[in-house]
Amino acid sequence: MTTTQSPQTSTHPLEDFVDRLLQGEALLPDNPDNLVEVVGILHSYGVVLDAYAINLVYMAEHQFLVLFPFFKYFNGEITPAKLLRHWWHDRINYEYAEYCMRTMLWHTAGGGLEAYLDTDDFRQHCETAIQAKVKSNPLIGGLHRLFPDFLPEQVRMLAYTSALGQFWRVMSDLFMDLSRRYDEGEIDSIPAVVEHIKAGLVSAAATPITYSVKIGAETYDILPASANLTFLVDVALPYVECIFLRGTPFLGVVSYNAQAQQIPGTQSGFTYGALFADPLPTGGAGIPPTLLMQDMRHFVPDYLHRFYQKAPRGEDDIRVQICQSFQKSMYCVTTATILGLMPHAADTSDSAEQAANREHLIAWLDRLMGSRLPVVQLPSQPIT
Amino acid sequence: MLSELILIPAAGAIALMLWPGKLGPKMARDISVVCLSLTLVWTLVVVAQFDPQAGGLQFQEALPWVDTIGLTYRLGVDGLSLPLVVINALLTLVAVYSSGPEMRRPRLYFVMMLVLNGAVAGAFLAQNLLLFFIFYELELIPLYLLIAIWGGARRAYAATKFLIYTALSGVLILAAFIALVWFGGSTSFNYDPTLAAMLPPLQQLLLLGALVVGFGIKVPLFPFHTWLPDAHVEASTPVSVLLAGVLLKLGTYGLVRFGLQLFPDAWQVVAPWLATWAVVSVLYGSCAAIAQQDMKKMVAYSSIGHMGYVLLAAAAATPISILGVVFQMVSHGLISGLLFLLVGVVYKKTGTRDIRVLRGLLNPERGLPLIGSLMVLGGMASAGIPGMVGFISEFLVFRGSFVSFPTQTLVSMIGSGLTTVYFLLLVNRVFFGRLAITTPSQRPEPDICLPSVTWSERLPAIALAVVIVALGLQPNWMSRWSEETSIALQLPQPTAIAQTTVSASVSATVPATAQATGQTTAAATVLALKAPALD
Repeated sequence: MTTTQSPQTSTHPLEDFVDRLLQGEALLPDNPDNLVEVVGILHSYGVVLDAYAINLVYMAEHQFLVLFPFFKYFNGEITPAKLLRHWWHDRINYEYAEYCMRTMLWHTAGGGLEAYLDTDDFRQHCETAIQAKVKSNPLIGGLHRLFPDFLPEQVRMLAYTSALGQFWRVMSDLFMDLSRRYDEGEIDSIPAVVEHIKAGLVSAAATPITYSVKIGAETYDILPASANLTFLVDVALPYVECIFLRGTPFLGVVSYNAQAQQIPGTQSGFTYGALFADPLPTGGAGIPPTLLMQDMRHFVPDYLHRFYQKAPRGEDDIRVQICQSFQKSMYCVTTATILGLMPHAADTSDSAEQAANREHLIAWLDRLMGSRLPVVQLPSQPIT
Repeated sequence: MLSELILIPAAGAIALMLWPGKLGPKMARDISVVCLSLTLVWTLVVVAQFDPQAGGLQFQEALPWVDTIGLTYRLGVDGLSLPLVVINALLTLVAVYSSGPEMRRPRLYFVMMLVLNGAVAGAFLAQNLLLFFIFYELELIPLYLLIAIWGGARRAYAATKFLIYTALSGVLILAAFIALVWFGGSTSFNYDPTLAAMLPPLQQLLLLGALVVGFGIKVPLFPFHTWLPDAHVEASTPVSVLLAGVLLKLGTYGLVRFGLQLFPDAWQVVAPWLATWAVVSVLYGSCAAIAQQDMKKMVAYSSIGHMGYVLLAAAAATPISILGVVFQMVSHGLISGLLFLLVGVVYKKTGTRDIRVLRGLLNPERGLPLIGSLMVLGGMASAGIPGMVGFISEFLVFRGSFVSFPTQTLVSMIGSGLTTVYFLLLVNRVFFGRLAITTPSQRPEPDICLPSVTWSERLPAIALAVVIVALGLQPNWMSRWSEETSIALQLPQPTAIAQTTVSASVSATVPATAQATGQTTAAATVLALKAPALD
């Protein structure tokens, strides 16, 4: 039996978005420009994520406890041409992927992975692998005896490296599939984009996250299957928390000086993530997302390229335009996450379930206070 | 040889006036650019043939004109006027090149620019007092029209104020010239440094006073400066470039040529007062610049401060300070020209010059990064940072003046510090931070996207910046033309100064510059050691 309650009234500043989400709409307005931007940029993001994922997994598996990993971005293929291109920087900037990995490691934003890395089980697996590694490397062995916490911390970082690589593997395929469906005419609106991403996240939710390395002839588990780590809860959600919401402040954008009090006292109060980021400093020195925008610009599809060319500055500010499109696309991913985690169906008629849904949405929108959500509601092309 | 510098722009102006059919802005500008390029080339030919070792006038030309009133067409150039003639040619070319393609009455505008160029060149070259006065007054007409027709909202007020002030300046100068010839018993207005030598001291002082006030209005010196900020704010960017870069120099040139050179004895008497007046002007201009909210007004007040240095150096009238006068005039012409160009671009792209609302224009993708970088460079040059011409000129001014007026020189040096203050305020507020052209508000606003700056807009500023740095690194490229004239213009000085050679003084600046640029040379060090002690 269901009980009837009067409709809840709320004074939440983002109340309109609650209604919009309950009606199956996205946080991003549905219009043709937004569709072109979001799908186009997710295509290029998918290409870049593919490269990032391959490299992260390579580093975790093949650069295990290599103290000076000079060639970690080469994926095992070291040629003079590749080396020159690496120095010239006209390449995939894998540094950005590492930056995201370190952000996740530093924020300790919850999830099973973070918890597991503090367990005795992990320490045991970790020590076994370390002992296997130091057997053939006395330098690392000496280091381990002098600083017993150093190598396990490196392994924790490598565990995050592998987990992020596996997460992006899924996301890359998901975005490339979205792009293919758009090209085939199956995706024609922002809600359809959100639905595609949501379906992808749900289907991958239970995908196990494991990590093992081969040292000599033996394979050593670091994140064993028995840890029961899965894609959505243990990696995707912490990723959203760390990269979409918290992020890290960039020197030059805010002051690191404690007296300036421009940085919150606790990490949980950080709001420098992708949904909060200001695209305008893109291109400035010391702004790491510039690397991502730089990488994506090489793979922008033609229809999005033409869209950018219509802007007042044409392609001169393409990295800022990419950043704006990317932010819009991340609001679609966030919408998919919010809807995917909603406790009950959006169109439920049970008032208790409606209340639970509303509570869930309000909690998320609380996190988006002060974000760029109001700005992405405005027209795409910048004013002059 | 020198008449061409007047005739080429005059011919261009006539050609524009007589051009058949409708003349669009682009065509008119192209014709003017060609004409002014020819003028610049001809100026460089004059420079190439100029003998730096000869201290007096060169390439003299004389034609009788109205003998009955003592007016002859007599031209000549020396180390004082040569750099100013070059600056006039260069900055007019820059100003005309940076004149926008969308313009009302382009034919009249470019005719006025060409007439202005010819008149100013004539004033710098004239060797007859009446001829100088004619050119001095002639440039008023185009400048008045350029402000009154193509200026901002309050252009009528600004142009009229400019006209009244400078007409008064002209009246004082004419009166002084006539009185000088009259009292001196001469029948000709031909320029002669001994013209006033026979006059009683009181008459010399009175005539010099009239000239100092007359040219002081033009410079402008406090408290005769009030026309300048209004004129700058209302004038279009190219006109501001010419006004600050060339027109003000007529005042300082006049002070040295007709004040110092014609009345050396009286000059010596009033020099301490002039130096103190210079200090007041420097400090007033600098402090007023700090208080400004309009970028253009800030640069305009900065001009008042920096022109004070010229008066200080002219008052001291040592060989080094006279060289400092020439350098400071050229340096200020280049730097203020650059700054006004940059402010013009900022205004064109953002629609405002208010430093309270402009933010973050150095933004690399959507701001004006190159314009911002050049503004930083211009501010540094203006503040006398080594490696740029501003350092050389201020060094020469201070070093040359310190011997005669140590107190005034030291107080004037505060002006350099204040220059840093207001340019840092400007750069920090307008160019650093998050890109914006409004005060932050709670209402969500789309990300700003300023229009791109074209290369044709950047080119004039880059050209001036290159010259500023080049002369900062190689001051001898300019000083060699003026060294002999500086020695010829000096007042009789006590022992230490008299022993000082200008060559040594310029060489003394080289180590400092070389240090800044990492080009220390043994030769420079040796020359520096030869420079006499200031005490």
